[in-house]
Amino acid sequence: MSAEQKQILVVEDGATMRMFYRDVLSRAGFVVEEAANGFEGLERALLGRFDMLIVDINMPKMDGYELLSRLRNEPALRAIPMVAISTEAGDQDAARAYDAGANLYLVKPADPVALVQTARLLTGAAA
Amino acid sequence: MSNPSRNNPLLQRFIPEARELLQASAGGLLRLEKNPQDGPAINEVFRAVHTLKGSSGLFDATALTRLVHAAEDLLGAVRAQEIVLDSSLVDMLLDSLDQVSLWVDRLEGDAELPADADGVASRMASGLRARVASKDSPETATTADATLPAEAPPIWLHRLPVESLRVGFRRACRGATVLALCYEPDPGCFYAGTDPLQAALQVPEAMAFTIEAVAPWGPVADLDPYHCNLRFHILTDAPRTEVEQAIRYELDQVSFSPVSARDLVQIAGEPSDGPVWDDFYEAASAQYAAGDLAAIRASAATLRSFTGPGLWRNDALSWLEDAASATAPDHDLVRALIDAAGTGRFGGAGNSTVSATASGAPTTLLDGPNGAVARSILAGQRQALGKDGYDEIRLASVAAVVGNLLVGLGLDAQRHAFQQAIVDTHESRSTLPLLIFLDVLESGGTPDTLPPSDPLPSITSATDLPKAADLPKSTAPGPGPGPGPDGAARNAAPEVRAPQKTLKVEQAKVDLLMNLIGELVVSKNSLPFLAKRAEETYGSRDMSREIKEQYAVIDRLAQEMQGAIMQVQMLPVSDIFDRFPRLVRDLARKLGKQIDLSVEGEDTAADKTIIEALGDPLLHIVRNSLDHGIEQPEIREAAGKARTASLRLRARQEADGVVIEVQDDGRGIDPARIRAAAIEKGVIDADEAGRLSDQEAINLIYRPGFSTAHEISDLSGRGVGMDVVLTTVEKLGGRVSVTSRLGEGTTTRLTLPLSMAVTRVMVVEAADGVYGVPMDMIAETVRVPESRIQRIKRAEAFVLRDIVIPLMRMSTLLGVPARQRNSDEEAEEAVLVCQIDGRHVGLVIDDFREGMDVILKPLQGALAGMRGYSGTALLGDGRVLLILDLKELI
Repeated sequence: MSAEQKQILVVEDGATMRMFYRDVLSRAGFVVEEAANGFEGLERALLGRFDMLIVDINMPKMDGYELLSRLRNEPALRAIPMVAISTEAGDQDAARAYDAGANLYLVKPADPVALVQTARLLTGAAA
Repeated sequence: MSNPSRNNPLLQRFIPEARELLQASAGGLLRLEKNPQDGPAINEVFRAVHTLKGSSGLFDATALTRLVHAAEDLLGAVRAQEIVLDSSLVDMLLDSLDQVSLWVDRLEGDAELPADADGVASRMASGLRARVASKDSPETATTADATLPAEAPPIWLHRLPVESLRVGFRRACRGATVLALCYEPDPGCFYAGTDPLQAALQVPEAMAFTIEAVAPWGPVADLDPYHCNLRFHILTDAPRTEVEQAIRYELDQVSFSPVSARDLVQIAGEPSDGPVWDDFYEAASAQYAAGDLAAIRASAATLRSFTGPGLWRNDALSWLEDAASATAPDHDLVRALIDAAGTGRFGGAGNSTVSATASGAPTTLLDGPNGAVARSILAGQRQALGKDGYDEIRLASVAAVVGNLLVGLGLDAQRHAFQQAIVDTHESRSTLPLLIFLDVLESGGTPDTLPPSDPLPSITSATDLPKAADLPKSTAPGPGPGPGPDGAARNAAPEVRAPQKTLKVEQAKVDLLMNLIGELVVSKNSLPFLAKRAEETYGSRDMSREIKEQYAVIDRLAQEMQGAIMQVQMLPVSDIFDRFPRLVRDLARKLGKQIDLSVEGEDTAADKTIIEALGDPLLHIVRNSLDHGIEQPEIREAAGKARTASLRLRARQEADGVVIEVQDDGRGIDPARIRAAAIEKGVIDADEAGRLSDQEAINLIYRPGFSTAHEISDLSGRGVGMDVVLTTVEKLGGRVSVTSRLGEGTTTRLTLPLSMAVTRVMVVEAADGVYGVPMDMIAETVRVPESRIQRIKRAEAFVLRDIVIPLMRMSTLLGVPARQRNSDEEAEEAVLVCQIDGRHVGLVIDDFREGMDVILKPLQGALAGMRGYSGTALLGDGRVLLILDLKELI
């Protein structure tokens, strides 16, 4: 069954990574939108109506931590599931992301199967 | 497979990106060499290399990733000013980048790295790492491989059988280096004569060996037996060199991850509680503090023999015993396992929480293919809740995630308990009820299927939480009553139910109510018909009067009911206004402008659909105002205005609509500039521009393809113009108007209906049929004597109060023959003057009829694609009325 067309915003500065998320998630039935940096991510998140956000931690200008906490403090985005993704596997990085408002911290490169499962569960899409 | 990279679009995307990043890093390094204090340069290089590392991880280019990783670590140390970047270091980094660049070329051609890549990468990486390590304590430098930063354990690790994990764990505790291998053979490997199974079996000392499908298998009919769709997962403690040797022909398709003993821990079983555990926790903690591992082992063994073998904590003890008997014990791990047995939870931050999976327990709710992921998500929610207790903001997303998770897992039975937990959490302003719910869910208990005699199993696994007695009574029982109208459960604990002041209702239910009341409003309209028939056909005046009286009552009730239901889904505009203060502040900063935003009338309410759809248009208007309307402080000062501009957002209710105004005191819209820009962009021609009044010129900004900004700024000019605003607002049945005074400011006014459920239409007769025209399109109705209609070539027009209004015949637009006029009929045409896109158009129809409220239903089925009609409505006498979409027709 399809994922009922849940919408996911991916904020990630790497073009290849963005394509990877788009590939994996859209094949699983999600509608994927992309933003290439924190500012664009903030704007799109405010403009669109997403079911979930994926935020890269290490980004220029506005990093993922700041973006997460800005998004989380937007009344309209308070309840949206947010996933932080980073290459760093350290507990401290994870703790910082959770502190900033993430609901889940994943380490890159994410396993595609697990990524889709995660997205389905976080958005409540039928598998 | 002559050019394999071409078959992989992801790789094709990666290659140019990688080259760009490499170039950026090299340029940055050169600048750094000249000026080592160049902060932006080091950041740029670090970022580029970091991104490269992240992206390369998606491909089978382990060697490349490894080298880039080493370079990143070195740059990280430079950035943290732990080491100084000298020329030799720059040389090393540049060499590494050159090597990576060669490999990228190779990837483009062959889609794989050369055979010697692993060796080269490891040599160069150790060179780079030696420089990092030389600044650290000397012992870390001695073991080159061990200095690799801890990588996250692969997520598939916990799909392996727990027995294998246990074997691996024991060996890891004994000091062996355990490797997790993932071997994903090339899909076309059969053509190359490879037998993937044989290859995988060559891995020595395999403790676990599993095979899974890479992609879902799909129907048997589509199965391609020559396409390898397998992935092998292997756990081994053989030395890496030996493993590499054994599987040397497939090395490029294998990824290695060293895993620690901790990564392998997987505790499973039933939750349990009791003083024995607390005693053990105390004793073992003391023994741990004393460093007496043997004593810990003995305590664990003793307690394990006492307690049930199926318990989660019992299982934790067995892991603890192994960890404590290790030759080189990992003290942190021992501590974590003592905590696990003592508190019923195995934790730690980040990915290690994934290890707390209990896939072995047969009764748990979180079994199944998504189990491991679901558990790590739940563990994440504990962290997302934060340490500071009740926090509404944090709670909102956690509640959403857990709710979605229950839906995603199909755990409908748990949703009731979950909702109760959320209610309790809000009531008590404590996260305890939610945490208890998570505990129950994670430990596999089913809160609503447990026998009532069970002494509150939920609290048992939350001993590290504040004592239940400290909390308000209503929260203590935890998971709440069972699902459904279970009267018995409710009676058993009457004080459990928190007083409910608000009710959460699914949107669909309210929609249904709205639809039904809409139907009712329309069908009551048939009563006047009935009254008329009673009088005319059956000649009963009394009957007719009675029907009319009844009608009056039903009419009033229906209208009140409609109002009441509409109230249910009314939202205050503050729902959209709330986001603006922050947005305006951020945008103003970005643009270097000073803006004072004031918001009025946030309490004004309108239908949910309208409020929700209004967010985007309003955002456009505000941004436009910030971008084009409001000047820089210096310019304002020069124009004699205050440096700080004012932007006002106002909402108020007017008659049966909502008015929202965005007012700024910026530079205003210059009609001359608009005319010029419109001509230049081909929106209108010069002749037309000259004829436009200033107001009409200003209205041009709502035409598609129009944008006056000279340069495309970062904010606006992304291809979405003000025409989007107009389209959205009109779709909602509203209107947009702009008034502007040059130099003084601009006011944009949105007028919207309170609700979209009922549309007011005028019924018109045309070409022997009746049609509905939305009232908000109609400017006025006039009767025009034939003599005043002027023919201009094939077109027609007439003059209404000095304005030339073009005429169109409805019959022509609809493509049906016009009604034949009787010759003795008065030579007068009924004209509907409509306003479309700010222009007036006269529609010649046969006659006007009454106006009425209707429920607009979109065209469905075979009619769905028909253009020119916005929908249908039911007339009081049962006939179907087609509602015209004039914009499309004309």
